[in-house]
Amino acid sequence: MAKTTTINQAEAQASAFFIATNRDDTPLFDHTVHPIKSLPNTGFVWIIGISAVSFTLPLLTLLGTKALWMLLPHLLLALGLLWYFIRRNDRDRDIFEHIRIWSDLIAVHRHNPRKPDQYWHGNPYWIKLKLRDTRSHESYLTMTGSEREIELGAFLSPKERVDLKHTIEDALRNLNQRKPT
Amino acid sequence: MADAAAHDHARPGFFTRWFMSTNHKDIGILYLFTAGVLGFVSVAFTVFMRLELMEPGVQYMCMEGVSLAAAAVENCTPNGHMWNVLITGHGILMMFFVVIPALFGGFGNYFMPLMIGAPDMAFPRMNNLSFWMYVAGSSLAVCSLIAPGGNDQLGSGVGWVLYAPLSTGEGGVSMDFAIFAVHMSGASSILGAINMITTFLNMRAPGMTLHKTPLFAWSIFVTAFLILLSLPVLAGAITMLLTDRNFGTTFFEASGGGDPILYQHLLWFFGHPEVYMIIVPGFGIVSHVISTFSKKPIFGYLPMVYAMVAIGALGFVVWAHHMYTVGLSLTQQSYFMLATMVIAVPTGIKIFSWIATMWGGSVSFKTPMLFAMGFLFLFTVGGVTGIVLSQAGVDRAYHDTYYVVAHFHYVMSLGAVFCIFAGIYYWIGKMSGRQYPEWAGKLHFWSMFIGANLTFFPQHFLGRQGMPRRYIDYPEQFAYWNEISSYGAFLSFASFLFFIGILFYTIKYGKKIEDNAYWGEHAETLEWTLPNPPPEHTFETLPTQDMWDKGAH
Repeated sequence: MAKTTTINQAEAQASAFFIATNRDDTPLFDHTVHPIKSLPNTGFVWIIGISAVSFTLPLLTLLGTKALWMLLPHLLLALGLLWYFIRRNDRDRDIFEHIRIWSDLIAVHRHNPRKPDQYWHGNPYWIKLKLRDTRSHESYLTMTGSEREIELGAFLSPKERVDLKHTIEDALRNLNQRKPT
Repeated sequence: MADAAAHDHARPGFFTRWFMSTNHKDIGILYLFTAGVLGFVSVAFTVFMRLELMEPGVQYMCMEGVSLAAAAVENCTPNGHMWNVLITGHGILMMFFVVIPALFGGFGNYFMPLMIGAPDMAFPRMNNLSFWMYVAGSSLAVCSLIAPGGNDQLGSGVGWVLYAPLSTGEGGVSMDFAIFAVHMSGASSILGAINMITTFLNMRAPGMTLHKTPLFAWSIFVTAFLILLSLPVLAGAITMLLTDRNFGTTFFEASGGGDPILYQHLLWFFGHPEVYMIIVPGFGIVSHVISTFSKKPIFGYLPMVYAMVAIGALGFVVWAHHMYTVGLSLTQQSYFMLATMVIAVPTGIKIFSWIATMWGGSVSFKTPMLFAMGFLFLFTVGGVTGIVLSQAGVDRAYHDTYYVVAHFHYVMSLGAVFCIFAGIYYWIGKMSGRQYPEWAGKLHFWSMFIGANLTFFPQHFLGRQGMPRRYIDYPEQFAYWNEISSYGAFLSFASFLFFIGILFYTIKYGKKIEDNAYWGEHAETLEWTLPNPPPEHTFETLPTQDMWDKGAH
């Protein structure tokens, strides 16, 4: 989101966001969307573990020889590179959108990989959700309100975006039914 | 805020596209073509060597000069150094710069991300770095052939294994070039492997669990792991060679307290997994080809996956079967013998699963299927002679004879190279958008099948007669089968030239294919949902499960 906003605008949006969301009542709707990540953390541990154990095989046989010291740096370097790059890839895809809705406030916080976070909030009464097919995204989901149109779940699959739209719409509908009380 | 989508940038120009590419499909094609060029060089060496071996006596590689016209034996002083250089060059190029880059770098780069529904590799710029390091490494390898080397001639003739003390004693800078070449290719492969591992683990499409990932993607993952675990050991070993040569260390020098056998252990700790790095991606390709052309899902998907994993794991604990004759203790020999034979079990699982896939299927004998079936038959022959050689006692007789040469060319030249051709014919329509002429593919297959068998089957007989490897000349008792073998090599080379013709004809004039899945509905991995050739950017929208999960593989 906010491709055209300047740093000052972004800061202003962020501080306004924090002022608006700094409240004691719990949101009626609280939802975080993540992209799919096919390697869980336990998988990472397994991969590094298997590699490290496998590396000990050539090393153990060389214990007590000088040749060990010629081999060790190469093996450690390989292990270190594997560690770094899998983690680096995790960081590259470290992205989420946190959507919260109160009766009079809807707030979206987007965490970006290696870029500043982005913030948006508005009044749920005026929210419009729109799905459309663009050249690169099938079922591209946007939300309009408070003069800014933001994209939601661009990192999700098209079906997940449709589901997300329904989830948010259901939440907004519940909100409206709640209104009279 | 932004419709961040709808970015539509112009197709890059020729230089940008091919020299600065970060696109996994373009890099895959670069790998395939570079490997093809180096393969041609390497094959040309063998044709010249087979020419020399066609008749007893030395007629072509003379100290007086090299020529393609036979010289009279009395006018020719044999140039053994040149022979050794060609042997070494053929080995180094084929092992490091042709087969692995084609299968792992080429097909792996192009199709592994497509099969798992990833938009590109995890680290596209590192992918570019890997490719150009591979080019730098192969340039060094070619330079080493023409740089001043041992015996006051050009090039070094120590064998692709670079055994110490031969390699530490070889004069000239040629040997250092060769060592740097292997360093470069090793660094390139390790970076490439980490890229593949990360892509495979982290970027699979939603719902694609490890037990649902296509077999080719699995084979690339297993190969990447073998590379990651074994190449650093080789890097350490050749670094020691380098310091022994240039900085006066004595790691492999007995007179300084070192041990030349240590080098062999380290080399083969890498070298045995290396042969699986060559063949495992081939297993992956063949699985898809056989399933597609039998019009059946692959038989025993999970056993196929775990057989590859088991072959990879066992590959690390059998290395000393390459060195039965260096003076291992009886216990060591027994262990390595037993462990080696165990590998026949997962390999058998794969062979029988492929046969079971074809069983009862409606098999159509298109060119990729012919190459896959050719692979199946010939790899089995090579595997069986492998079991023969695995016995330490029998190996006393066969060690360093042509029987070994026949064995490893059956698994490599007939096994892995047939997989490369199966892959090319299977996917050339996908990669180029044009289809090869079927008759030409079949002619290529049959001439290569006959040629390669004619080359290598007689070498079993030569080995059993006791003809040793790596010699420029032989007594005339070995003449008969050597002549036959050379005819086979010429026929294979002719088929290779014909293939180059097919390749360029197809790319330029081949019939355009519109159908995405042009081999029929049983080619059901994700690359078949894309147009031919696929657009520059693929799967920017993640594929959904119904696109690839047809209930079975």
